[in-house]
Amino acid sequence: MQYMLLIYEDEAGYGDKQDTPEIRDITARHMALVGELGSTLVSGAGLMPTATATTVRTKGGKQAVHDGPFAETKEQLGGYYLIEAPDLDAAIAIAKRVPLRVEGAIEVRPLIVH
Amino acid sequence: MTALDRAARDHKGRVIAALAARFRDLDLAEEGFAEACARAVTAWVPTPPRDPAAWLYRVADRVALDALRRQAIRAGAALPPPDPEPNAEDLLMADSTLIPDERLRLIFICCHPAIHPEARAALTLKLVCGLSTSEIARAFLIPEATLAQRLVRAKRKIADAGVPFEMPGPDAWPERLSAVLSTIEIAYAKAHEDAGGAGRHAGYAREILDITAILASLIPQEREVLALAATVRFAEARRPARIDSAGMMVPLDRQDPALWDQALIADGRLHLARALALGTAEARTLQALIHAEWCLRRSLDEPAPWRSILVLYDALLELRDDPVIRLNRAVALAEIAGPAPALAEIDALDAAMLADFLPWHVVRADLLARLGQYDAARSTYDAVLQLGPEKAERLWLEAQRAAAGQ
Repeated sequence: MQYMLLIYEDEAGYGDKQDTPEIRDITARHMALVGELGSTLVSGAGLMPTATATTVRTKGGKQAVHDGPFAETKEQLGGYYLIEAPDLDAAIAIAKRVPLRVEGAIEVRPLIVH
Repeated sequence: MTALDRAARDHKGRVIAALAARFRDLDLAEEGFAEACARAVTAWVPTPPRDPAAWLYRVADRVALDALRRQAIRAGAALPPPDPEPNAEDLLMADSTLIPDERLRLIFICCHPAIHPEARAALTLKLVCGLSTSEIARAFLIPEATLAQRLVRAKRKIADAGVPFEMPGPDAWPERLSAVLSTIEIAYAKAHEDAGGAGRHAGYAREILDITAILASLIPQEREVLALAATVRFAEARRPARIDSAGMMVPLDRQDPALWDQALIADGRLHLARALALGTAEARTLQALIHAEWCLRRSLDEPAPWRSILVLYDALLELRDDPVIRLNRAVALAEIAGPAPALAEIDALDAAMLADFLPWHVVRADLLARLGQYDAARSTYDAVLQLGPEKAERLWLEAQRAAAGQ
């Protein structure tokens, strides 16, 4: 099965600069995990902060474009891994290895099989 | 009860577990079992099979295979030729010792931490204990439709999210076992609340004894598993003494130990001794020790063991500080230090969190009455009665209320 691991953290913790020791450190930890996962990893990426987000909302047959993420939350989606795993337990085991700056949550979602 | 009702009730968990493990599909297992029961209605007349469980398993297995075959045909897959249909004579001679016991595996699937905690307990009671949806709905005090929906959602999650049908490896046990044990605790709490045993919740106390015995025999190296099995045995052993001849609840310290089931207590001690032999006590082991202390009492003439109970609760608080344990400790404290410090303790607890927790009000009302605050005691009893206790509890509460200030 394929599972998406969605990474939620408080992005404020990373500050607004792109090249800080903190960001270099977490990037290195992600790269190390990518190396360990090998062919288990299908794809993955980090996302720019929600300040860069634009939302296209469709409601009542009308579409509107506005600034910002779809919802204001304390923790924001900051990246994802798409992995191949035999079952939920295997996916959870990998989710536990996803690096976080301090704290946060990894949501594990199976992909729809066609 | 007919032979079929009895067989269905006694063997449902075992048969469904074996089918679920074989087909990795809970719905298919349940549907197969239901269809086998439907066929038994005519097939078991006039002669029921020698081994009803084996008959149900073989037929349910066949039904499930046929269903899979039909699915595959619809999907256009090429199929191997079907296995020969088991004949009536085979079925009559089938042997249930050949059914693999997969109940533990099924418990781990139902109690996966990815499943909502309330759904875990309901699913375990349904699939492993063989309770009906309406029985579980009554025990959990929720409408049957709500429970049915919760069960469907949980089963869909197991299938769609890929909850494995394999037993987790020992490295995952600390996390997984704790979900299993707390599920059993939730399920048992429902059965235990009802002192009379004739009420809504008592039907499956027996099943919980079975499940904990299975767990203890299959995972004998885990202290907390043995401790929970011991606690359930001590608590169930006291059931015959928990109501009087008028159907009124009898509190633990006034129960006649002569009515307790000594065989069950001995079985509890055996489990507890094995837990203690495995090393330092954890929270569930201390809880079992508290029950064991009570079960040492041989007659009402012996003093109640409040002093040792208080010491054990102090130790338990060090390991697990929660309001329910603090409340129980306060009951012992009232006997040793008097009602005033006990009331101060429980009034310091989070009242909002305990508002629907019947024992909190009961203990408070009793302490207020003992302190001579009769008006407050009576209005607290009124609040408890509003929460809709079972008949045995209600009779006792009404008597307590009437006695306050007399």
